[in-house]
Amino acid sequence: MRPDLMEILACPVCKGELTLTVAREDAGEVIEGSLYCAACDETYPITEGIPNLLPPDLRRAMEAEGAPAAPAHGSHE
Amino acid sequence: MTTEHADDVRSAVRERYGARAREVAAGSAGEGASGYASTLYAGEAEALPEGVVSYGCGNPVAIAGLQAGETVLDLGSGAGLDCFLAAKQVGPSGRVIGLDMTDEMLALAETNREKVGVANVEFRKGVIEQIPLDDASVDVIISNCVINLSPDKDAVFDEAARVLRPGGRFQVSDIVLRRPVSEAEQADMELWSACKSGALVIDDYTARLRAAGFEDVEVLVPDSTGAEDEPAWVSALVNARRPGGAGTGQPWVLPGGRHIELLAPIGLESGACRGDSTSACC
Repeated sequence: MRPDLMEILACPVCKGELTLTVAREDAGEVIEGSLYCAACDETYPITEGIPNLLPPDLRRAMEAEGAPAAPAHGSHE
Repeated sequence: MTTEHADDVRSAVRERYGARAREVAAGSAGEGASGYASTLYAGEAEALPEGVVSYGCGNPVAIAGLQAGETVLDLGSGAGLDCFLAAKQVGPSGRVIGLDMTDEMLALAETNREKVGVANVEFRKGVIEQIPLDDASVDVIISNCVINLSPDKDAVFDEAARVLRPGGRFQVSDIVLRRPVSEAEQADMELWSACKSGALVIDDYTARLRAAGFEDVEVLVPDSTGAEDEPAWVSALVNARRPGGAGTGQPWVLPGGRHIELLAPIGLESGACRGDSTSACC
């Protein structure tokens, strides 16, 4: 994701502001990192350039049912 | 709807579209994509690389009258086709955000974005019932045959109204019902993810959009044939506008009433969304 998109991104739960932490960048795009909502004390991962802004309960449910929530950590192919 | 039921619907939808994305990645467009994407996007999508497929039932970009510099949100962006077409229309000063909950589709969209080489498209993983964007941050919402898949459509409409700027437009293609379908059909998850049993009856669609605060609500479908065996399901173009913002809202019908002419060819005659209860339309 491009950091300049941050200005309109919001927490899916409280719609509050998110704080970006960059772990890896490439050509001005955030490849790995996270978005933190202080109001919810919730961290949303950025994996392979795509922020995962699923509501946390749904994200955990999807992880539990085996959907690859973080493809970077292991390929299923 | 219970939470459990909503989870079942989401799982069925993710499974179906995840499988389709894998088919595309493996070199086959798969069920539902071949044949009519070229009809829907005649002349527009030809320049796009292989793998940029659509499972939609219409081409909302064609009717959205997008202006340079606008911010566009695509609900259920799939492989990204509508996003790329929208990006071209809003130009470098505008931007397009594609929202999808399926990992495989997001990966495919991201790959396509690199192939197409557009800088002003971004994909987000999320659900359309809880949109991860600020209030009043979007000029136009587009969506192509996705809202009928949602287990909580009122939440989708409420969230759409929230993220749109005053005067912002909601211009989507969707599957709607001319008449109610049976409870047995409603309960069938496979049908649901094929855009059938989750569809709203036209008047219900209109009423729910109004309840969410939209005005100038219009659900356009081809005239009924009056035939007894006429399918309940039909592709529709839905227009609505968030009130306010005098002068900021663009005309939501193209000059000369072109939306009517654009409606007619949208997959209805080409078999994209047949009325029988077994074929997928998106």
